[in-house]
Amino acid sequence: MSETMELRAKRGLAFYARIYRKVLAQDLKSKMSYRADFIISTFGMIMTNAVGFISFYILFQNFPSINGWNYYEMLFFYGFSLIALTPLQCLFDNNWSLRYAVESGDFIKYCFRPINVFFYFISEVFDVKGLGQLAFGIMVLVYAWIHLAIPVTVITMVQLVLLLITASLFMIAIMNFAAATCFWIQRSGYVMVLMFRFKDYAKYPASIFDGLFKIIFTFVIPIAFIAYYPALVILRPDEIPLLSYLSPALGMLFFYLSYKFWMLGARKYNGTGS
Amino acid sequence: MRKYSALTRAGIMQELQFRLGTFATIFGNLIYLTLIYNLWKAIYASAGTEVVNGMTFSDTIIYLVLATALFNFLEMFIVWDMSRSIQSGAIVLDLLKPLKYRRLKFFEYFGRNVMTFFTTFLPTFIIVFFITKGAIKIGLNIIFFMISVVLALMVNFYIEMFVATICLHTESTWGINIVKESIVLLFSGATIPLVFFPEKFRIVVECMPFRCIYDTPLNILLQKPGYTMDTGLWTMLGMQVVWCAGLSVVSRMFWDISVKRITVNGG
Repeated sequence: MSETMELRAKRGLAFYARIYRKVLAQDLKSKMSYRADFIISTFGMIMTNAVGFISFYILFQNFPSINGWNYYEMLFFYGFSLIALTPLQCLFDNNWSLRYAVESGDFIKYCFRPINVFFYFISEVFDVKGLGQLAFGIMVLVYAWIHLAIPVTVITMVQLVLLLITASLFMIAIMNFAAATCFWIQRSGYVMVLMFRFKDYAKYPASIFDGLFKIIFTFVIPIAFIAYYPALVILRPDEIPLLSYLSPALGMLFFYLSYKFWMLGARKYNGTGS
Repeated sequence: MRKYSALTRAGIMQELQFRLGTFATIFGNLIYLTLIYNLWKAIYASAGTEVVNGMTFSDTIIYLVLATALFNFLEMFIVWDMSRSIQSGAIVLDLLKPLKYRRLKFFEYFGRNVMTFFTTFLPTFIIVFFITKGAIKIGLNIIFFMISVVLALMVNFYIEMFVATICLHTESTWGINIVKESIVLLFSGATIPLVFFPEKFRIVVECMPFRCIYDTPLNILLQKPGYTMDTGLWTMLGMQVVWCAGLSVVSRMFWDISVKRITVNGG
């Protein structure tokens, strides 16, 4: 045991990448055996996105602009948020089963492997249907991009990719925090359900909030960073606020804190005794 | 009848057990409601007019806030519960009981709904009533609203039950449930009041049963034209009753056909 503990510290990125590939292949193989489920789930994913888009469209039929943002700028936020939420859907979906694993005692199996517990638990599931959301998000973003006539340069492209990756960390971190509450509170599913609802509001510009709520949605439940602040870098390059510059660093910090919180719970976990 | 009231009581007790969950739901709703409030305040500020499609800002807020409260109050997890009990085999125990399965579920959930009415809907309603300072008229409309909500609860139950029955045929619960949820939330007016919908689209949506769940009771409460005693309240309530009866028959028939071919692993 002590030997494996030492090994754990030395394992690098290449090692984890190799493991991830193997676990992923296993997961996809087992998913493929339920083809009907895959088709229905993908259809469900497309439906939710379509319905989200229809509500958005209906809103703009009645109100041509919101808080000084026109239709295409709002679409830009919308597409941006969908893409930034994809890594959460695809890679971190297993957080939803955390509370079942903890309550039933199955979680103990993850503690006995000589690899990082968080990594092992999260890597077990890859949610393919999230890719439908990605495709939808890219379509919306490209459509808005063309209509806004934003120049396509190497710089904007690099910015876009970098901002999208760091923006995705915020919602992942929120859900890590929410999922990890189950280590302390029994039947804490409602915390996750509650937090997950906030992601739907990431597509609206944070400029609609004032005072206290701006602070809450920026620093406490940081949904303003999922689309609004990072997207400003591309939408309004002349007047980028400080928070937009800080968003990549804040994303990493927030993710790191949520990881620490998750691991704190995992370390406290003793199993159910069975 | 006594056995069903026992089930209702059990549902109430079960709901009482998770007080922490109720507090979290109320707290979460408060944050959620400020989100909606700020969003629509900005939307109305950009519109330049006070009234859009016959709805003022406070009408819209009351509508959406109470729709959220109704959503929490009416929320059922029949689809999840049933698919889990099919997969574990526990459904057999319920089917063997000398009670009708669908009625058993209805009264179980009814107990919970009674409880959530007092813990989530009523507090929200009182807060909204005082914040909007008299935008909600208190009169006979409250009684009709209550009748309409009970009908909404039944329509919602039959839709849930219909969708849950699909789970007897497939194991893809997540997909089925998400399709149902997105359709119900859009077409019932829970996300955007139905009056904002484009004319042609709205006519189609108004022919569907989903509006009975949120749109009808809320419009009755707000006493919008077409929903008052003089202008068609009875038509609206009648429509709810018709949908209720229709869906009850359809979901019952679907259940009766499906339950014959149920396969349960062990149990």
